[in-house]
Amino acid sequence: MRRDPNLRVEAFPLSTVQRWLQAVVVHPGEILEALASSEAEREVPSSDLAALVKPSRSLTPEERVDIYHGMYLLRMEEALASDYPATKHFLGAQAFGELVRDYVRRYPSRSYTLNRLGDHLPQFFLDEPGRRHAPFLHDLASAELAVSQAFDAEESPKLTAESLQAIPPQAWDSATLQPTAAFRLLRSRYAVLPHLESEKRGLPSPAPVRKASFLVVYRRDFSVYQMGLTRGEFALLDDLAGGVPLGQAVARAAARLKKAEGEKKVFAWFRTWVAEGMFASVACGPSRSKGSTSA
Amino acid sequence: MTRNLWHFKDLGTGVGLRAPHFGHILGEKPEVGFFEILTENYLDTGGRPLYILDQVAERYPIVMHGVSMSVGSTDPLDFAYLAKVKALAKRTKAQWVSDHVCWTGVVGRNTHDLLPLPYTEEALRHTADRVRIIQDVLERPVALENPSTYLEFVPSSMTEWEFIARLASEADCGLLFDVNNVYVSAFNHGFDPKTYIDAIPGERVCHYHLAGHTHKGTHILDTHSDYVVDPVWELYGYTLRRIGSRATLLEWDADIPPFDVVHAEALKAQVWRDKEVRRAA
Repeated sequence: MRRDPNLRVEAFPLSTVQRWLQAVVVHPGEILEALASSEAEREVPSSDLAALVKPSRSLTPEERVDIYHGMYLLRMEEALASDYPATKHFLGAQAFGELVRDYVRRYPSRSYTLNRLGDHLPQFFLDEPGRRHAPFLHDLASAELAVSQAFDAEESPKLTAESLQAIPPQAWDSATLQPTAAFRLLRSRYAVLPHLESEKRGLPSPAPVRKASFLVVYRRDFSVYQMGLTRGEFALLDDLAGGVPLGQAVARAAARLKKAEGEKKVFAWFRTWVAEGMFASVACGPSRSKGSTSA
Repeated sequence: MTRNLWHFKDLGTGVGLRAPHFGHILGEKPEVGFFEILTENYLDTGGRPLYILDQVAERYPIVMHGVSMSVGSTDPLDFAYLAKVKALAKRTKAQWVSDHVCWTGVVGRNTHDLLPLPYTEEALRHTADRVRIIQDVLERPVALENPSTYLEFVPSSMTEWEFIARLASEADCGLLFDVNNVYVSAFNHGFDPKTYIDAIPGERVCHYHLAGHTHKGTHILDTHSDYVVDPVWELYGYTLRRIGSRATLLEWDADIPPFDVVHAEALKAQVWRDKEVRRAA
């Protein structure tokens, strides 16, 4: 028997219905736990479910709500797996699913796009230092976040060897380089490159190794690349990306190396980075302030 | 048989622009009436997807289909999002912009699901008000898609087809009519899909969607993961007779096969369109 429509509308205003359904859908437990959760009960008591949701010929109201509830975490997991494939590869499907459940509870999507859902995953591992492998997972997630940021970054012009050669000799020392928008430089406590590569090749993930590691993430021809760096390469790239003038940065890098081969090596690195398209432009003028990213 | 109020072109048959097909589309330049993009995939990126889209938009008509307009939500409208949608529509010279009759989140969250509305007078007024504002901001009509739904609310005071017809009229908006969604919801809720189709104001329909689904026995999920089933093709034919020919899109978004498979499925729609044109003549 149908109740009076006005009474129903008053009992279940649109805003209440929406807060209730969302509370149930995003709850990480089973459907009956979700319906009985304090967030859901505050809006619609579980005892009133039959007054709000109709059964179908084959499903109860609980089962019908569970269709939406069941799809929520699957959708979040699919989105995060797309941005964090090496993290999933390392953890395995079950542990990754549990991670997603905990993560989206703390950092639910507040954006119109799922592309930014995973932006807080490195921070999540800092929030939970007691989580198994948390320090390593923080470093791995930082590298994967850099990859997804590089993928979506605005396209930048690429500095060419020709434009570098056009710099007057007297301006060389004070010239500064501007990295492309996709450029990301990371320093981590754990080696993460082997994990990124093992996931790409479908090989088993190695055990985490605590070893100071340096990585640059960049984009060329709309494809994203990662390159492992030595400590010396990292220091120079960090200087250059931070706006240290070329002359000063190169001198500092050469001083860190053996005198005989220092400058030669530094210029070889520099040529590689320019050829890989890591820099957008060169400016002859006052230097910018220095800053780098640490995983 | 009617024309749509805005005289949007009948672009023939189209497919969704999806990453696994980028290389094929740019390399082979297949004969496709139009491509539909998932709006949100192109809003905050300066990377490869946007670079590809710019090239595709130079050669083919583009239509935009969003999932985050959240027209029925009781949260405030996201004007920053709408500004980006408007800019993308301008960039791609989109023929039209569409989204869904649904809500996706409240209290600042987005579930990224197309959640169902209770079909009440309150929800109708609220949603119509928002759609009018959205159209004012975008400075173009919006086409709203009938959703696949898996539950019905007891407090609903009208059917889904009554709600959608009244919403389109009161908001003065267009409709994107998804034939598979009618089939899915008709199975899930036990109504006659032809009753639904008969109630749709044809002059507001700008575009049709077709897709495959997943039958779970007790209910059907709108998964866009398979071929269109025969009963949906039959309903498409019925819709063509009832409403008339419109641009028709084949959606395939999960377990995506090679482009030729998706395109061949889309071209079946052209066979149905031709058949109905002959029948009408």
